[in-house]
Order: sequence, then structure tokens, then C-alpha cells
Amino acid sequence: MAPQARSEATRQKILNAAIDLFSEVGYAAAGLGEIIERAGMTKGALYHHFDSKEALATAIIEQGTNLTRDAFHRVCQSSSPALENMIHGVFVVTDLVDTDKTARTAEQLTRGLLEFNSAASQVWSSRLDTMTTQARRASTEGDLREGLDPDVVSESILNTMLGAQLLSKTADGNDHITRLTRSLELLLPAIVAETSLAYFREFLAREYLRHPQAGGSTD
Amino acid sequence: MVMTETSERRADAGERRADTTRHRLIAAASHQFAHRSYSMVSLDDILAAAELTKGAMYFHFPSKQALALAIIDDLNEMSRAAVTELLTRRMSGLETLIDLVFLQAVQNTQNEVARAGARLLETVDNTTDLSTTVWQSWIEFVTTLIQKAVTDGDVVDHTDPEDVAKMLVALWVGTRRISDLDQPERYLDNLQKAWILTLPSFTNPDRIDYFTQFIKRRHALAVNKVSAKPRSVDLHATAAAAAHTDP
Repeated sequence: MAPQARSEATRQKILNAAIDLFSEVGYAAAGLGEIIERAGMTKGALYHHFDSKEALATAIIEQGTNLTRDAFHRVCQSSSPALENMIHGVFVVTDLVDTDKTARTAEQLTRGLLEFNSAASQVWSSRLDTMTTQARRASTEGDLREGLDPDVVSESILNTMLGAQLLSKTADGNDHITRLTRSLELLLPAIVAETSLAYFREFLAREYLRHPQAGGSTD
Repeated sequence: MVMTETSERRADAGERRADTTRHRLIAAASHQFAHRSYSMVSLDDILAAAELTKGAMYFHFPSKQALALAIIDDLNEMSRAAVTELLTRRMSGLETLIDLVFLQAVQNTQNEVARAGARLLETVDNTTDLSTTVWQSWIEFVTTLIQKAVTDGDVVDHTDPEDVAKMLVALWVGTRRISDLDQPERYLDNLQKAWILTLPSFTNPDRIDYFTQFIKRRHALAVNKVSAKPRSVDLHATAAAAAHTDP
């Protein structure tokens, strides 16, 4: 292996160990010593790549939120109506957080370090930007209620997404999609134009049914 | 070492030039084939438009037919990319299919390679049964989407998915043939009407309203895309024109 590739592999090994430990015991309780042990590395190897526990957290946040960001962007690039992209995008991100360990740990770290870590605070402002671009388009497509501020609509949807994340921590994320859907159901009439409401209620219901978690609870 | 790098660079430049030549030929030929029938297009027209010599062309394409087949290949490549992109959205089978139909329709009116490719597919003389193969692979792909739509509960389960797929591919090709692609809005209108009309023949009754809306939304967005200018610019132009004629 070329030195650069080897170095990259070492770095990833340390990150994976940190992701495991952070997700098991949380950021605060995780010690660098245990991360080194799990990764099977020396202290020197770790410090070569990361000068602190926070540097590790920042790297995980970047890696995990790149996944969710790319997934969300892919959805937004489609030619579908923007409000569909907004709803579908939230579900795609939620799915990724439920199924991908890096994405999930990045969300946990982002929530925990929001006020202290600049990578963490960047995450939500960039999500808000992406969402607001779609909301503006949804407004010109006539799907949003008239007179609504696209920024406020985007914020409300992201608040819903974050709230569902926080509250579903209990049952290993199983009720995550259900919580998200219920809150969005309540939010829809407040943001969707009268003529589009029935369609988007059905769109949301279909989105929910598409998720494996939903299957058991509705039948 | 230095020599190798230089010659590599020279080879790269040569390849790039070859790429440009090929690209120019495809673009010029697509423009011709998109608007005139295969037999009416002469190689001289293509070469004049591409500003290339016969020799340059023969390096890439031995004949007019080879050019036509390359355009069809490019169209297939475009379609494959669109399909891959759509599948990553993980929408339901029928939603994916409708999205694809409107995406292709927009592409057919906006992109000359796509337009020429679609037209050539129906008319080019070839001994290889190319068009049969292409349509067969479309029917197979649409069949998988319909099968998915049956498990999604959107399509009734008492029809043969392959029969539905054949009908929809025929509808899709037929609508394009009877429409004037220079009038994209009417083409899209025909497409929307045909789809809404045919929905009840295979869609679950309680899903018809949703899919009617779904089609209308795709139609509206497609119309927005093909209209020469975005609506806001149009309004502006109208206002400017009004100001001009009414001083």
C-alpha cells in the first residue's frame, strides 16, 4: 500500500473506533485511551491524525453529514415539485440516520456540540439554506400557502426533523419515522396551499408506508 | 522520463482533439437527423455544418449509418443515466415510471441528440434489429417497474405486468410520433392526456386521484422547462413590450 493510502486507512480505523465508542457511551464518557485500544493503534498514531477528542468529533461530523448532505442534494436536484423534494429529502436523511452508523453518530455529535463546535453549527445552517432554496421554488410553484416566508417554512420543517430525532432516541430509532410523519401531518395544513393539501397528505402517507418500520404498525 | 511525459501529453492532446471532432460530428449530425428524415440527410450537409472534411469523419465513422447508430448509442447512454438517477430517489414503481416519461419527453424536445436518436431508432436502416432490441429492453425495464407498482399496491394485481408495460411503451412512442416536437407544449399536453386516460386501465381505483395529480404536477413542471423562457422573464418581456407599444 502506498504510504498515503496506509495513512488514510489508519485514520479511518481510528474514526471507526471513535464512532463505535461515541455511539455506545456518548461523547463525554468516551476516553481517547479506549479509542486507541479499540483501533489497535498507538497514541502516537492517533495524535498524528487528531490532536484532540474534539478533532475526532469534528472529523466524524464532517464525514457523516457529508453523507446526509449529498443524499439531500440528490433529492433536490430532481425535477420533481420542490415541496415533494422537501418532504422526500427529510425522509431520506432520516432513513440514513437510522441505518448508517457514521451518519447517526454525526447527528448525535452535532446535537451535543452545537454550541461549541463550528462544524456542528455549520450543519444546520447549511441544511436550512438547501431547504430554503426548495421552499422558494415551492412558493413559485404555488404549493405553499400565500404570504408565508420560505425561511420560516424551512425552519419549521427542520425543527420537526430535529425534534423527531431527539424524541425517538429511546426505542432504538424504531419510532423515528412514525414521529416524523405525525408531526409533518400536523404541519402540512399550516404550510401547504389549500388546493395542494390533499395531494401532499397522500404524498406523505405514501412516503410513510414505503418505510419498513411503518409496515408493522399500520397493518 | 521527461520525454515520456511530453509524448503522453501530446497523446492526450491528440485524444482531446479526436474527442472534439467526434463531438462536432455527432452534434452536426444530430441537428440534421432531428429535423429531417434519415434518407433526406446527406453526409455533405453534416460535414458542412461540422466544418470538417470527409477524411476527418471517416476516421471516426465509416458511414452515415455508423453516425446514426452512434447517436442512438448516445441516446441509450443518456436514458441509462436518467434511469440510474431516478432509481436512487427510491420512489414507488409507478411514480418512477411517470417521472421517467416526462423527463424523456423534455429531453426529446430540448436535446438534439435525444431527439435525433429517438427519430433514428424508428427509421434508420439497419440489419441488426437494433430498434427491436432497444424496445425490448425498455419493455423489460418498464415491466420491472410495473411489478414493483403491483407490490406497492398502486397497480391492480390481476393484469400481466408485461402487458401493461407493452401498452405503456407503445403509448409513449406513439404519442411522440403523433406530436410535433417543435411544439413541445402540445406534445406534453398529448402525453398528459394519454396517461390520465389510460390510468384507470391498470391503476388501483383508490390511487387514481393521487396519480392524476402526480401526472398533472409533472406536466406543469415539464411545460415550465420547455417554454422558451421562464415565466417571470416572460412577464417582464410582456411588460416591456406593452411599455414599448403604448408610450
